[in-house]
Amino acid sequence: MRILLIEDDSSVADYIVKGLVQNGYEVEHAVDGKQGLSLATNEVYNVIIVDRMLPFIDGLTIIENLRSIENRTPALILSALGEVDDRVNGLKAGGDDYLVKPFAFVELLARIEALLRRQDSTSAQTKLKIADLEMDLLAHKVSRSGTSFNLQPREYKLLEYLMKHAGQVVTRTMLLENVWEYHFDPQTNVIDVHISRLRQKIDKDFEKQLLSTVRGAGYMLHDPETE
Amino acid sequence: MILNKVLASYTFRFMSIYVAGLSFSSLIVLAVLYLSYSYEQFQELGPSISRQIDELQTIYERDGVDGVNHLLERKVRVAEFNAFHYLVVDGNHQKIAGSLDSWPKYRDYQDDYISYYLDVLGGDLASNEIPFFAQSRRIANGHYLLVARHYSDVIYITNIVQGVLLRTLIVTIVLGTIGGVIVAGLSVNRIDSINKNVKRIMSGDLSQRIDWVNQQGDYRELTSNLNLMLDRIQMLMQGIRQVSDNIAHDLRTPLTRLRNHLTQLQDHPNGNTEETVQSLIGEADDLLSTFNALLRISHIESGKQRAGFIKIDLKVILLDIVEFYEPLAFAKSITMTQNLADGAEIQGDRHLIFQAFANVIDNAIKYTPEGGEISVDLLVTQNAVKVTMCDSGLGIAEEEKTKVFRRFFRVEESRGVQPGNGLGLSLVSAAINLHGGDITLSDNHPGLRFEITIPV
Repeated sequence: MRILLIEDDSSVADYIVKGLVQNGYEVEHAVDGKQGLSLATNEVYNVIIVDRMLPFIDGLTIIENLRSIENRTPALILSALGEVDDRVNGLKAGGDDYLVKPFAFVELLARIEALLRRQDSTSAQTKLKIADLEMDLLAHKVSRSGTSFNLQPREYKLLEYLMKHAGQVVTRTMLLENVWEYHFDPQTNVIDVHISRLRQKIDKDFEKQLLSTVRGAGYMLHDPETE
Repeated sequence: MILNKVLASYTFRFMSIYVAGLSFSSLIVLAVLYLSYSYEQFQELGPSISRQIDELQTIYERDGVDGVNHLLERKVRVAEFNAFHYLVVDGNHQKIAGSLDSWPKYRDYQDDYISYYLDVLGGDLASNEIPFFAQSRRIANGHYLLVARHYSDVIYITNIVQGVLLRTLIVTIVLGTIGGVIVAGLSVNRIDSINKNVKRIMSGDLSQRIDWVNQQGDYRELTSNLNLMLDRIQMLMQGIRQVSDNIAHDLRTPLTRLRNHLTQLQDHPNGNTEETVQSLIGEADDLLSTFNALLRISHIESGKQRAGFIKIDLKVILLDIVEFYEPLAFAKSITMTQNLADGAEIQGDRHLIFQAFANVIDNAIKYTPEGGEISVDLLVTQNAVKVTMCDSGLGIAEEEKTKVFRRFFRVEESRGVQPGNGLGLSLVSAAINLHGGDITLSDNHPGLRFEITIPV
């Protein structure tokens, strides 16, 4: 997996490159907007991570340029102080995700994995399946080993997101942004309570626990036997 | 010294310009008055002479010389006619009757009017070369009639008027200038004392105030406003000092803990590394989130986000919040009730509004004991929406109600008991202010009643 990082702050760049390489990615680093745009147009990458504020050409312009030449490489925008209007502009310009500095590395990693996954499965699915847990997207039904559950709409949405990102770490912020669709910072870990409620429904009566907590990062829905 | 100051003062310059303007305009008014008065006086001369000459002609033609003499006797007795002189002469300009001795040398004017200086009269008039204004007429028998009127009385009166007007003008200028000096002196004095105070305060002691007891009227208002501004500056400075003190204080503890754990890790590298590192990361994350919250509040307070405001439905957001926090309340057996009106549309930032109300609910759940109650009400009025969030928790002491919105302020009892960074309500206040709203805290007997009003 090749990742292009366009970031002018060398300490942030080193931190990201080091972390990504440790996690098995091949990373190329461009130090300014010009170099970044030329690399992004001439080479093929799986994901582009681009800082908003860059010398010569800013991050949003790079993405707009790429999109205008039909380059659909998933792009993750980094920004110093992310506020909602910035986020909206970033996504409007063609960015696929938006991350505010400072961020935890696990957050970045989880988002990159989500972007890569999105690339894999863009085709419309009608059924999701993890081990014996099944979700019928058309009928809005969830069942495990044939027993169906009654889920609240939000629980359904939460499970759907987790199942779509099965096998990946999903952070609390990602859940807030994608399931509740609010960008905010809960003061208490309400998300944990929602997760444990969901766990009660889908995991409680089964020996195989599908929904696990990843310490210091978030959650992951996966089939423990497939690893 | 003081006089120089007065003369150089803006007030004096202003007053001088004012007096000059006033003098100029009164000069114009006086000139117009004078001109119209004298015009009227002179205007009356011609017709009055005509009337006299008509009378003289009638009498002379009817009664001859006796009639004229009789007429003169009669006229002499009436003061009004003292200014008139009559003369009847024959074709060779030899006197027949009248009060003048001879036909004067005259200059012709239009319509038979003549004007001349008369030295034919005896007494005062002759020596003074009084100007006369006269009309002559040739009558049927070839004789000439002359009626002359000296207008020294008119000139005298107009001179008096002129003198009065000029004196008035001079008095205006003198009094105006004196008044200007006095007023300027007073204002220089007052401004001087304010300036001295301000300089003293600027040079260090912000707790001092400008003396406003001796000031009156608008100066009093000015000084009291300056004092209010000083109050505000002092409050802001104290706020900043308190924030930086609090930051230092609140961040020192976790940083020290972090450092201690790191030292432990260094001393016992073979201990339970995984766990220790995890807790270190957690502590670092807490510190980071505190800084982020601080930055976020100051970003909100800068007002830049207002540019991105869109129409949002408060009811939808409140429903989402209640739904989001319901499991947390349920875990503490807290009953959450809601009564939300429709049509609560405001201009705003949905994420920020969510964050603000979420913080309030979060606090309510934190401080409400097991089995308590929380209610969320939304009321829509003509020009505002009002959200009332009540809990049955500990409430906030009256004297602390205004303090809770300060950064890092935490109710003493909750320090160390409840998690939190003391920034939650600061953010609420910043966010609601950004939306032009108001927050009122009151007692819910027991608990806290949180009222937020946002204009539509």
